Amino acid sequence: MTMNEAPRFSEERLQEIQALVARYPGPQSALLPVLHMAQEDFGYLSLDVQKYVAEVLGLTLIQVREVVTFYTMFREQPCGKYLMEVCTNASCMLNGADELVRHMCDKLGIKVGETTPDGMFTVTEVECAGACSGAPVVQINNVYHENVDAAYIDAFIEKASKEDAA
Amino acid sequence: MTTLFIDDKEITVEPGTSILEACRRHGIEVPYFCYHPELSVAANCRMCLVEVEGWNKPAASCCTPVSEGMKVRTRTEALKKDREMIMEYLLIHHPLDCPVCDQGGDCKLQDYAVEYGPSKGRYSEPKRAVINYDLGPFVNTCMTRCIHCTRCVRFANEIAGTGDIGVLNRGDHMTIAGIVEEALESELSGNLPDICPVGALLDKPSHDLARPWELSHHSSTCIQCPNGCDIQIESRGEQVMRIRPVEGSPEPFICDRGRYVYDSFRSPARILEPQIRQGDGFGSATWEEAFARTVELLKDKRVGILFSPYWSLEGLMSIRLMRDAVFPDAKVAFDLHRRDMRPFAFEEGFSMTTEQIESADQVVVLGCDLRQRLPLLMLRLRKRSRQGRPVTRIGAMNYRTNMSLSNDALIRPRDWHAVIARAMEQVQQLGKTAAGMDEWMASVDGRHEAGKLLADALMADTCALIVGEEIRSHEDAASLIYGLDLLMRACGHAEEGRDGRNLVPEAMNAQMLSAVFGDVRASAGELFALAQAGELDALVLVGSDPVGDGLFPSAAKAALERVPLVQVGAIEGEISRYAEVKLPAAAYVEIEGTFLNMEGRVRTANKPVKSLGEERPLWKVMMRLAMEMGSEPPVVSLEELREALYAAMPEVRDACNSVECDACLIRVGRNRDARALPRKTAEAFPLDVVSRYSMYREGMWARASELLSEAGRIHALDDVLVHPDTLAELGLKPGPLVVESFLGRHTFDIGVRDDVSPGVIYIAKRGVAGDLSDVTSARLVGCGGDS
Repeated sequence: MTMNEAPRFSEERLQEIQALVARYPGPQSALLPVLHMAQEDFGYLSLDVQKYVAEVLGLTLIQVREVVTFYTMFREQPCGKYLMEVCTNASCMLNGADELVRHMCDKLGIKVGETTPDGMFTVTEVECAGACSGAPVVQINNVYHENVDAAYIDAFIEKASKEDAA
Repeated sequence: MTTLFIDDKEITVEPGTSILEACRRHGIEVPYFCYHPELSVAANCRMCLVEVEGWNKPAASCCTPVSEGMKVRTRTEALKKDREMIMEYLLIHHPLDCPVCDQGGDCKLQDYAVEYGPSKGRYSEPKRAVINYDLGPFVNTCMTRCIHCTRCVRFANEIAGTGDIGVLNRGDHMTIAGIVEEALESELSGNLPDICPVGALLDKPSHDLARPWELSHHSSTCIQCPNGCDIQIESRGEQVMRIRPVEGSPEPFICDRGRYVYDSFRSPARILEPQIRQGDGFGSATWEEAFARTVELLKDKRVGILFSPYWSLEGLMSIRLMRDAVFPDAKVAFDLHRRDMRPFAFEEGFSMTTEQIESADQVVVLGCDLRQRLPLLMLRLRKRSRQGRPVTRIGAMNYRTNMSLSNDALIRPRDWHAVIARAMEQVQQLGKTAAGMDEWMASVDGRHEAGKLLADALMADTCALIVGEEIRSHEDAASLIYGLDLLMRACGHAEEGRDGRNLVPEAMNAQMLSAVFGDVRASAGELFALAQAGELDALVLVGSDPVGDGLFPSAAKAALERVPLVQVGAIEGEISRYAEVKLPAAAYVEIEGTFLNMEGRVRTANKPVKSLGEERPLWKVMMRLAMEMGSEPPVVSLEELREALYAAMPEVRDACNSVECDACLIRVGRNRDARALPRKTAEAFPLDVVSRYSMYREGMWARASELLSEAGRIHALDDVLVHPDTLAELGLKPGPLVVESFLGRHTFDIGVRDDVSPGVIYIAKRGVAGDLSDVTSARLVGCGGDS
């Protein structure tokens, strides 16, 4: 989707949404799953996407904005192809998460929350990912990577960059 | 009923009541922030915690319903600690700026911090600051003070229906935010500062002007619409600082018109001393000089009297007494919005209370912009629609309502007969009829499908019919209202106790006006025509502005070119430039008096604001006028005047003497013999003209108010609007076009809007199109002007 194009769900998505709405007493109840779908389809929840979701569900924009801003996993800004979320909560911190974050940022030349200029990698910090036994944990696009160290990350970044170039 | 024990006190309340509500009703103090009796329960401030015996943790009393035998404790050591902790949390980010905050001294957070808070906070980290929003001309924001109770959010969603405020982010970052950061698009926005328990939302016009403890409180009745809300006027010295709703009165909120009209009390347009015309201007005069000039103008003359319905019952009665004593033959007019003076089958006023309308099975609104005209009734309809109850509307314009309507039909005013006839056909098919219906139907040629919606709604057990200005000011209003009366009678909605006939009156006191002035009333248009024809020598105008308001501005101007005008009133209107003499009468907030609202509730004003100048209560001016004109004054004291009023309307005495004055209703008049059949008149021009009522611009007080004028500018529509199809059919484009009517040819900028009925020219009464108010039909032609 390019920036200027108005966001539109595919026919199948719209049918999926319809079926979802029918399961609840009101369309507002379906907002959370529909926002996940929108984020999946459009990459992130721009204001235009939020307006579109409001229109599809018959809600006001503020009702959508309230939910989007409440949950940190809804993104209002675009992110890289690989979203790397490093847990920096207690267990991971004790196992070197802070150093890991510093290493990743140095290697990619960005700050926490930023995306590399080529649009490949985004590094963020998150609170407890719930996988303390494998600390430090990095979640990369919905996949958990446990016991991560600098070498593991370097290998991952190299591999991903190569795959992308190919 | 459920019986429970709160702090060992036995209390009986209705089942389903919350513990907090039970406490509130029985004077047991439980602190709370987010709860509001008119809003849904959010239970997010946690301040109202109480202990219930047998429960292992404290309960939020606002969302816990009572149960039989429940034992509740509101003051224990554990609760004291809980409340202390909650206060500490709420105060973490709250600035300690009470000395510069308008809410200081009138703030729940401040009060509870003293009563329940720890005396010292332990938080020493940086406090957050939040960006403020622009919520329109009436609401000031200082969001750093917000404690996130979400009362304002619920108010916008549930009461105002605008839903343009919400809560963004969470935790430390939580903020209240408006999506529409311009004017908060509500006619009720002034209530937001009232419902905010802290100093986050503040009244903008009175911001930084006064402290709560400096204000003295007066009570009065708002006369800005027929709803007649109770108001509390807060003033410092002579200056009114703000107007607020009265807790415990029938309506918990008031509209922006009634609230912000107060700056007109001190506007330069006030008449505060007697004045006599000197050349093009006016010079101050003594009462003696002014009356001498008045007598000169009126003595032995044929006089017409035009007055405003907004005076108190006592004031209106004194006009009648003065007329009978001094000008026994004078024609009297008070309604600037009625063209048809034949008696109506049901007179102006409501047969139902607003509560009954809220709970009726069906509500039908015919030709009325309720949101502008009766914002508080609109609020009740909104509540209805939130509960899924139907509201049907038929009219010339899709007036914005901020709610969903179950049925909506656009029609032209000339279609009303056909709509009613269609409804009659349908109810007759279902075996319901009334004597006279056949005759009525036979005299109407066409049938309009919108009548089906009306007939469908009439089939319900209870149906509230709200008849608005499009019908009341129709040229054939009497026959339309007779037709509606037949329909209501046929469907059983006219019997005692189930009477659903409500005709929206122009103003307050409608029941009294039909009872006391019924035999002498004329149309304002008739009065102006007589003056223009040379059959009147002078006009006496008692507080009304036929040039600025109403349907006869052109006629009024033409009449006043010919005859001199004596103006008695509290405030000047556009009419004042024609006056010879101006006599000051006290404003509605400056008198003790009695008023009747549209439902027939008796409202009393008994703690008036101090007069600003030489103005006197209207009845004194009227009696002095009678004396100066050489008559014995009919009454010499307020008591005598009230006796005269009670003699004319004994039910008002009964209501005033009753302990439950609020529950007494003065019934609306009925004219059983008013059998008006539809007139067959060919309209001179192909398009109907409907004028817009704007709550920010209608009436002398509103126009003199800077605050309301500002809001009026924000809420303004184009001066002249038509449906795009209307123009397409004529082959015209939006822009400057000529409106041709019996007044001649005028060029206006014509805009288009889908929500105007095709075939209708919708005009803003105020503004450049104001002069079209006299017109009921017109034609549109291109500026070339050849068609």
